Amino acid sequence: MFEGLRVSAFLAGKALQRGNKGTLVLTVMIIALVFVNLVFLPSIVAGVVVLFNQQSVNYNYGNLIVEPRENEQAITDAGVLTRRIERIPGVLAVSPRLTAGGTVTFQGTSLARSVIGIVPSEERRVTLTATRMIEGEYLSDGDTGATVIGKTIAGNEDPRLDTQDSLGGVRVGDSITVTYTNGVVRRYLVKGIFQTDSFSTDASVFVTRSELEQVTGRSDWASQLLVRTRTDGDEEAFRLRLYSYGVQETVKTWQEKSRGIIGDVTNSFAIINLISTVVSLVIAVVVIFIVVFINTVNRRRQIGILKAIGIEPRLIVHSYVLQVLVICAVGAVAGLLLLSGVVQYLTLYPLRFPGGPVLPVVELLQVVQSVASLFVVSAIAGYVPAWKVAGEEILEAIRG
Amino acid sequence: MITAEGLTRIYHMGAVDVRALGGVSFAIERGEFVGIMGSSGSGKSTLLHILGLLDQPTAGRLEVDGVNVLGLSDRERTRFRLERLGYVFQDYALISELTALENIYLSSLVRGASRDEYLRTAREILDEVGLGDRADHQQYELSGGEQQRVAIARALVNRPAIVFADEPCANLDSATSKTILDLFARLNRELGQTIVMVSHEDWHRRYFCRVINLKDGLVEGTEEQACVSHGDVPGGTKS
Repeated sequence: MFEGLRVSAFLAGKALQRGNKGTLVLTVMIIALVFVNLVFLPSIVAGVVVLFNQQSVNYNYGNLIVEPRENEQAITDAGVLTRRIERIPGVLAVSPRLTAGGTVTFQGTSLARSVIGIVPSEERRVTLTATRMIEGEYLSDGDTGATVIGKTIAGNEDPRLDTQDSLGGVRVGDSITVTYTNGVVRRYLVKGIFQTDSFSTDASVFVTRSELEQVTGRSDWASQLLVRTRTDGDEEAFRLRLYSYGVQETVKTWQEKSRGIIGDVTNSFAIINLISTVVSLVIAVVVIFIVVFINTVNRRRQIGILKAIGIEPRLIVHSYVLQVLVICAVGAVAGLLLLSGVVQYLTLYPLRFPGGPVLPVVELLQVVQSVASLFVVSAIAGYVPAWKVAGEEILEAIRG
Repeated sequence: MITAEGLTRIYHMGAVDVRALGGVSFAIERGEFVGIMGSSGSGKSTLLHILGLLDQPTAGRLEVDGVNVLGLSDRERTRFRLERLGYVFQDYALISELTALENIYLSSLVRGASRDEYLRTAREILDEVGLGDRADHQQYELSGGEQQRVAIARALVNRPAIVFADEPCANLDSATSKTILDLFARLNRELGQTIVMVSHEDWHRRYFCRVINLKDGLVEGTEEQACVSHGDVPGGTKS
């Protein structure tokens, strides 16, 4: 077996060393581009998922979300529960949130929205929204009659610039009116406008918790508590820890809360990925097949001679497969270098998605899978034409 | 050494059957330098292809070096060609991507020889055919005569029982042809190498110690004769 491999490797090496350099370079380039194509789109998808995940943690949920017990509408004694959770090891901060439905109106334009009541000093420790003010400033704990709103709901005077329904160009210093579902009507001065690039957060209206407690007439309650942990990625363990410390409310991780939208995004991209991967691999198979086929057909005579002098067809076929595998390996390395260049560039100049800047995330598994699939299709595409020609009668092959 | 009985080869060309060999029988002994001669279309190349195991007869029996070669599997035939036969083609049939030396040692490599062994043997044979200084040249850097000498060296490298040569001088001028034929004669004389050569050039006849004449796919006659190899012909290259 190893003797045979030695002969196949010898023939393959000489063919690569002294064969047509133009064809060799072209084939390597094609493999490299196919490889980039196989990895690039998934890396962008992974980047989008990472972006959404970061937004979920940084702007929407924190790491954990404590919600009312089953069959209850609100968390009562929210202050006590907040203090208790804050004392659990590993918990960095807890931000109680109240939510009340209402209609927001500005200069005759009305939108139905949930108004979120927060304790600004607590919220600052859990989410990063306060750091993304593009106009004005964030709320203070003592604010009443003031609001901060997202860029999306604030909108533009020119509705063509809006990506979603908006209030038509609210600016800091303007006043908006909120008509709550319980009939209470409040007029708020817009203290600041933020832009996080998170779709849901940028469409939100924030007031202080004390303001919303006045509106609802209830105190010391919360719709949910957002919990920030000291480390990311251990949400499941922290959830169990919260339960072990006696929290009886429902505790969810940010992954669970965002599963719907992230899942939809991931599934949609997965379908696009699959189509792109299949097309790329088909292109790779066809191109390699054509190159090897032309190569073997052009060398029919040589293959016939090799058989005539006593070289077994399988060794000849193996030599072609080895050539293809070497070309594939070089192509994959070239593809990796090319991909690395593209990733570097897109890290410096990220793609701007509606959800924010997306950095490509190249996952090792994706690279390994792409290289493996390239090797498999290359081996098949190299084997078939070589096997076909090597199976011919010697004299037919020699006569070409 | 070679015993052929009733070798027949019929080519099916659509609805027409073309009989290239019509039942050829003969025997060749070890150490003979035999010429197969005949006009174009007489079936001499077809016969050589069958003797060299490059083609299968439609009917007949063939024993080479004591082996019923028609009963061998494809793989066994390939091994038999590698180990016991050498074949020199009309148009040299070198592997263009290999140097002269590599073309020669390729079949030794296939046989599993060590690097030292196949390099030494190939260099020795290259020296024997007078191309020691052309070892690292590729096909396109060699003249027709040099290419044919490389092809002969390749056929000899495994010290085969029989060397078959299919009109090896067909593409060469007279002077170069003489060099090649002298080389074959010397190999036959000095190494006792059995050689079976196809030719249609009448002046080649003096190199052959026996001639099998073919006509229309049948043996027309066999003639034993004085030959250059045995130093019997004036102008021969006896050393």
